[in-house]
Formats: sequence, structure tokens, C-alpha cells
Amino acid sequence: MPHGYDTEIAIRVDDVHLALGDDPPLAVLAGVDLEACAGEVTAIIGPSGCGKSTLLDVIAGLVVPDSGSVVTASSGRPVLMPQRDALMPWRTLRDNVAAAAELRGTPRGDAQALADREVARVGLAGFGDHYPHALSGGMRQRGALARTLLAESDIWLLDEPFGALDALTRSEMHRVLMAVREQVAPTIVLVTHEIAEAVAIADSVLVASPGPMRIVSRMRVADAGPDAAHEVLASLRAAGVAA
Amino acid sequence: MTTVPQVEPALPAAAAPRRPRIRWGQVAAAVALPLALVLVWQISAWIMQPREWILPSPATIARTGWDVRERLWHHAQWTMLITVVGFALATVVGCLLAALIARSRVAGLMLYPWIIVSQTIPLVALAPLLVLWMPEFGAMVTLAALISIFPVIVAGVDGLRSTDPELIRAVRTLGASPGWTWWHVRVPAALPRLFTGLRLAAVFAVTGAVVGELVASDRGLGALTRLSAGQFETPVTFAAVVILALIGIAMFLIVAVAEWAALPYLRRGTRPGSR
Ligand SMILES: Nc1ncnc2c1ncn2[C@@H]1O[C@H](COP(=O)(O)OP(=O)(O)O)[C@@H](O)[C@H]1O
Ligand SMILES: [Mg+2]
Repeated sequence: MPHGYDTEIAIRVDDVHLALGDDPPLAVLAGVDLEACAGEVTAIIGPSGCGKSTLLDVIAGLVVPDSGSVVTASSGRPVLMPQRDALMPWRTLRDNVAAAAELRGTPRGDAQALADREVARVGLAGFGDHYPHALSGGMRQRGALARTLLAESDIWLLDEPFGALDALTRSEMHRVLMAVREQVAPTIVLVTHEIAEAVAIADSVLVASPGPMRIVSRMRVADAGPDAAHEVLASLRAAGVAA
Repeated sequence: MTTVPQVEPALPAAAAPRRPRIRWGQVAAAVALPLALVLVWQISAWIMQPREWILPSPATIARTGWDVRERLWHHAQWTMLITVVGFALATVVGCLLAALIARSRVAGLMLYPWIIVSQTIPLVALAPLLVLWMPEFGAMVTLAALISIFPVIVAGVDGLRSTDPELIRAVRTLGASPGWTWWHVRVPAALPRLFTGLRLAAVFAVTGAVVGELVASDRGLGALTRLSAGQFETPVTFAAVVILALIGIAMFLIVAVAEWAALPYLRRGTRPGSR
């Protein structure tokens, strides 16, 4: 293992290239290498438009890369939680969460009971009958988290999940995520453009170049200690991202 | 059921949902204007005494309408039947075409331009031809459907194309098949816009039926307006027009109620900030 940590690798992305669109195709991923350790949070930080969402699509198997390989040590498929509109407006919170179980073939009644359990777990007990419109941004993301939990995947791909929230709600969501993570221990890939968020949540941080994307540096937050945020900033500067 | 540890902080319990109630103030606001108009009309008629066959007063129209109620009802039934069948046809065929256009690029390129071009020709001109080609009922229904199908198709296509790609991305990773995504994401996402089209179509269907009757039929309220005006039975003409307006309003309201029932999440009071 290149980085020398004796943890199991849950996701290995090897030299992935991908161009999107036609006339002319735009190179989005230009040789992305990435390893995520099982049960850890791996943050990917990079400028907007550099290809982070596309990379998650590739890891999720939604998009097939032009070359390179993606190997996941997951029993099922990775589950993805997008930044916004993750919930269907026409379904109540309970039915939104239950969709994750329905799609695994669970009968509707059982799916609803399971959904109620996850809704309670993220602190939304009593809101099951509410439509997403009637919930605050933070509550909606808690709901999306509950649905992610019910997907029972051991790989979570979080695409700027808290990017649309205010700072206070965001730090509250960080706590919710950490608490949930202690209970179910998934492998998490967290895409973010917030250095503070990456350092606060992640075990390791990968810095992405401006598009076409490559991973230009990686660091263990624990190794960097209190300087972690500065190191990430320095890597971003070296990559020509931050001023 | 097993209990799971909840994360802190749990949020305060949800408030009970509000019950809908009739707002009499709004009802009054809605009827105030037509009522005032009728009143002004009636008073001017008293003062100026126009000849009845030119401009009858609301009271005369109401009295005459009541006297010829069986004749009006006979024609109104026919118009309502044509309107409802034409609208139903437009809804079914319109939704199918919208689905086809939204799903297939080729179908979109082949159909959409022609559907738009079809709206630039005056469809009324087709009425005499349609009567030549098929029985009168079929011709009238076809015309009503042709006129009301356009908003169904346009709203349906826009709606089906409006799905948020992030939502599709999320459900696909939950294991949704293309079929599931179509029926559980794209179609529900299209419904609000589709219903806007259906409301227009419901009113257009009345226009379609009337126009058809007006130019190529001896039955229905459209035909009655032509025949009665020709005989200087102007109060009957007005009564027919009033009933047509009521049919149009009823069609609109029926669709609005269907919309209210089909889209509970858009009801007033279920969204913060709505009144
Ligand atoms: N389907 C597509 N066709 C063409 N270009 C695309 C497509 N999807 C994304 N892109 C382009 O790929 C680049 C990376 O997009 P994205 O992965 O969403 O970036 P990020 O998530 O880092 O902000 C952007 O320049 C975007 O315009
Ligand atoms: Mg993105």
C-alpha cells in the first residue's frame, strides 16, 4: 500500500481518465488516483468545476470511465448523497427515506417502519409526515442522511452535503454525521470546498487540481496535527487554487 | 421494533398540521366584481332602456333563460359531453405524445415542430372538413381535442424535462431502475406543470366545442348562439353565453380540484411562508 497505513482499502481508483460531452469532448478526469481506507472519512477538496462530482459518479458506477479502474471492497453499491434536492418533494419525509428500502425490495410496510427508525436516529422523530417543503435546509439534509443510512451501503459518497447550509447548521450536521458514523462505520468519501470542514471531519484529505482533475496531494489529518488546515491551504496554493 | 440510539441534538417535536377552512372574505372578494358589473348593467338598462334584441338587461336574460330552460339544457348537455370527451381525449393523447417527445430525441425532432405548426393554422377552418369525414359527434370532439391538446403537450414535455438531475443521480445510487426513475421521479416531478397545462386545456376544450358547433353543427350551445342571434332572440343568445362561461369555470375548477387532490404537497399551509 503506497501510503503505508495498515488499514484495509475500501475504494481504489487507479489512473482514471474521462472526457465528457462531444464536439469537442472536455477532459474532466485526467489520471485520478485515490485510495480510501475502510471505515474512514476521506475528504476531497478542490475548486468548483474541477470534476469532483464526476469522480463520485465514476466511483458510484453511474459513469464508466474512458480508462483506468475503480475497485470497491463493498458488498453492495456505494450510495450517493448530493448537496441539494436530495429528497423528492412529493413524498413525505418517511416515504423519502423508505424509498431506500423499497428499492432493495423491502415490502412497503416494512420499509416505512425501517424509515421511521432512521428518521428517529437522525433526530427527526415526529417529522415523518412532513413534506420536504415544510422542513428547514438542515432538517432536509438530516432526512437525506437517514435515507443514506437505510440504503445499508458500506460506502457513502457525500457530494458537498452541507454546502448549502449556514455555518451554525453545518457544524450541527457535522456532529450528526459523526454520531451516525460511530454507529454504522461506513467508508465515507466527502467532497467539499471548505478546508475547515475537511479537517474537522476527515481522517485524510486529498487536494484536487483545477480541471482536468488529478489528485495533487494527500495528507493524514492526525499526522499533521494542529497544522492540518494550514497544510491543506498550502497544498491548494501549490496547486494554483487558493490565493 | 428495535430502538436505535438517537443523535443529539434531537429536534423539538413537530407542530400539528393546520386544518383547512373556508375563507369567506376571499369568497366575497372573488364574487364582488362580477356582481358589481351585473348591477351596473341592470341599472344602466333601467335608465337607458335599450331595445331588447340589441342589449337585454340581466333581468330579462335571467327571465328568458328560465323560460327556455329545457331548450338550453338540451343544448348544454351536448356541449358538455363534447367538452368533456374532447378534453379527456386531449389529456390522454397529449400525455402520451409528451412522454414520447420527452423520452426520445428522434420523436421530439419528428413531432414537436409539427405540433407547433399545427397551432399556427386556424383549427376552426377544419370544422367543415371534419364534419365531412366523420359523424358530427366525432367531428366536434376531434376539434375540441385538437384545440386543447397543445397546452397538454407543451406543459407535459416541459414538466418531464424539468426533473432535477441531482435527484435522479441520488435515486440511481439507491438502485432505481430507469422504469422506477420514470414513474417515481420524472412523472411526479412533471405533474405540477402538467396540471397548469390541463387547466388551460379544460377551458380551451369549451372553446373548441363551441367553435365547432358554431360553424358546423345544429346542436349545442355554440349552435344555439348562432341560431338564436339569427332570429333576434338576443336574450337566449346571452343566456347561452352565460351557461358557456359557467361550463368553462366548472371545467377549470374540476381540474383545480383534481390538482389539489393529486398534489397534496403543494397545498397552501404545507409550505412555510405560504398563506
Ligand atoms: N455531462 C456533461 N457533459 C459535458 N461536460 C460536463 C458534463 N458533466 C460535467 N461536465 C463538466 O465537467 C466539469 C466538472 O464538473 P463537476 O464534476 O460537476 O465539477 P465539481 O463537482 O468539481 O464542481 C465541469 O466543467 C462541467 O462543466
Ligand atoms: Mg459538484
